Amino acid sequence: MFAYVVKRLLAGVLVLFLVSMSIFLLFWYGPNEPARVMCDTKTSNRCNAERLDRFTEELGYNNAWYAEYGDYVKGVFVGRDITVAAQTTRCDAPCFGLSYKNGKPVWEDMKDRLPATFSVAIGGATLYLLLGVPLGVAAARRRGTVQDKALVSSFLFLSSVPYYLFALLTWLFFSLKWEVPLIGDTGYVPLTESPTAWFGGLALAWICLGIFGCTQYTRYARGAMVEALSEDYIRTAKAKGLPTRTVVYRHGLRAALVPIVTIFGIDFGTLLAGTIFTERIFDIEGIGLWSLRAVMQRDLPIVSATALFSAVVLIMANLIVDLVYSILDPRVRLS
Amino acid sequence: MSSAQTAGPETLGRMSDEPQGKDPSTKKAKSITGKSPMRIAMGRLMRDKIAVVCLATVVFFVLIAIFSGVLQRLFGVDTDTVLPSQFLDLDGIPRPEYGPPYGAFTMEHPFGIAPRTATDNLAYWLEGARNSLQIATLATVVATIVGITLGLLAGFLGGVVDKVISFITDFFLTLPFLLAALTIAPIVSERFRDNPNYVTIQVTQLVLVLAFFGWMGLARLIRGEVLSLREREFIQAARVLGMPTHRVLLRELMPNLAAPIVVSTSLMLPAFVSAEAGLAFLGIGITSRPSWGQTLTQATSFFNDYSLYLWQPLLGIVALVLALNLLGDAVRDALDPKTRR
Repeated sequence: MFAYVVKRLLAGVLVLFLVSMSIFLLFWYGPNEPARVMCDTKTSNRCNAERLDRFTEELGYNNAWYAEYGDYVKGVFVGRDITVAAQTTRCDAPCFGLSYKNGKPVWEDMKDRLPATFSVAIGGATLYLLLGVPLGVAAARRRGTVQDKALVSSFLFLSSVPYYLFALLTWLFFSLKWEVPLIGDTGYVPLTESPTAWFGGLALAWICLGIFGCTQYTRYARGAMVEALSEDYIRTAKAKGLPTRTVVYRHGLRAALVPIVTIFGIDFGTLLAGTIFTERIFDIEGIGLWSLRAVMQRDLPIVSATALFSAVVLIMANLIVDLVYSILDPRVRLS
Repeated sequence: MSSAQTAGPETLGRMSDEPQGKDPSTKKAKSITGKSPMRIAMGRLMRDKIAVVCLATVVFFVLIAIFSGVLQRLFGVDTDTVLPSQFLDLDGIPRPEYGPPYGAFTMEHPFGIAPRTATDNLAYWLEGARNSLQIATLATVVATIVGITLGLLAGFLGGVVDKVISFITDFFLTLPFLLAALTIAPIVSERFRDNPNYVTIQVTQLVLVLAFFGWMGLARLIRGEVLSLREREFIQAARVLGMPTHRVLLRELMPNLAAPIVVSTSLMLPAFVSAEAGLAFLGIGITSRPSWGQTLTQATSFFNDYSLYLWQPLLGIVALVLALNLLGDAVRDALDPKTRR
């Protein structure tokens, strides 16, 4: 077990290093004039060649990339001072650089937007399980009936439609057209400010994510349950005279849950890493919408920070899933 | 042989059952037993009603995409920008005499005209279909080539090559596609904004981004298949005979991989169509050419007054993606009837 954990951790660190370096290099060698946006902002659009050169120098683009990458990584862990246009800004850890547009450290804006994304992710992921697993179990128990077939084929249809169209239509009808009270007014209000507004603003987004995401879980749960219910130990449990509920949920579901835990971990990580379509459609001020806006304004430090953040979240999610899986199913450790 | 070919799906359909003739050793029965697995699968596909409807839909869209220019000339419409004020009222909604939402459809603009810009909807819809299918097809081709090559190499060579390729595959599977597209889009536009070939560069970039995040599934699939196939007798025989590696790969292995390749390619297309429109909807896909996703974004703000404008691209995307998806499922079922639900 210990050797396996160490091996997985080392692989995770290696991937993290590679990803962070590729993101850094992409933003280093990618743009033709990396300092152009900063220069335009600081000089109120009177940026000329000479000023551009000065900003390029100040932002460190004339130094070697590995030195700057080292500074960037150091900034993420311990923070650093950044001097631009004779103005030094203290950028505390985790420092992802300064925004080109407002000159503030990226993390200061980012930490205000993380709760919105987390709220969306937690609610959506909860619904994945709450809708998906019971539906899958119910379908497996009624295998071959009309209800089962209707569920399977309607979910096949649903999962063939792009998610953003489903979400967009939901928003257009429930919010824009019918203006449903409470849940019609979408957006993010902090939970501490008003729990009802928080719930109402996110409810539609959760429902959309939940309905759309649960199809996969229903499929898995149904498949695993069908398999589990035909096992010998289920027949034994039935023969012992256990109530059906105990047989299905205690004996059957427990075996079926292991693969579901795995995909749930990855899905939850993906949601945490950014729910761009959901945030864009339901107007929720999370990091997805924020980075999308930063793309439009060409505010590259924000884009690179969100990319790095998402990569870290996803790699961690994968790592945790691997470790949990090795506890649930010891066979994986050996392979 | 030729008689069976002209007999069409009926004959092929029957052949998976018991022989129908009185004497199974008649000439006809013999010619039928010579069918390849691919043709048996084709027969199964053609008997699947949903698959045939989906195929017809896909063919319809492909024809629209190919003849987009001809159709536009036929209807006398184009994607040129016009002076909006002459066609629109003060809210930016088309005046009744130019079509919906307040007037009847006109012959000059069969789908109506767009709010705010007053461009022709039909022309934009046709061009959107063309761009969507073009980008999805190109991305599928690139992703398939990359997937097959890496999968074959990893499975056949094994050892260090397999380790490295498997690591790269897992690495790419970790990266979220949407975020990668979001990250790469501003870089490309930053770098090539003033380039005269910006349109081409943008399309190429989109195709490459789509392809680079779509090959992993196929590569894994191929690797697994090759791992089990390479130990089989016919491969060993080919090697003993001294066949060069590239011939073993192309002549012996590839034909056995046709089924998984066809299945995963047919499921890649709808994913790319959907992704292309989704990126355009977010404003990080193609911006310099018409796309269904762009129209969708513009139509959102006019939904209450002019919902028809939104339904056009939306139904286009849904019909195409749904048809491609269900067709892909049907192809998979036809190639391997065991997976049928």
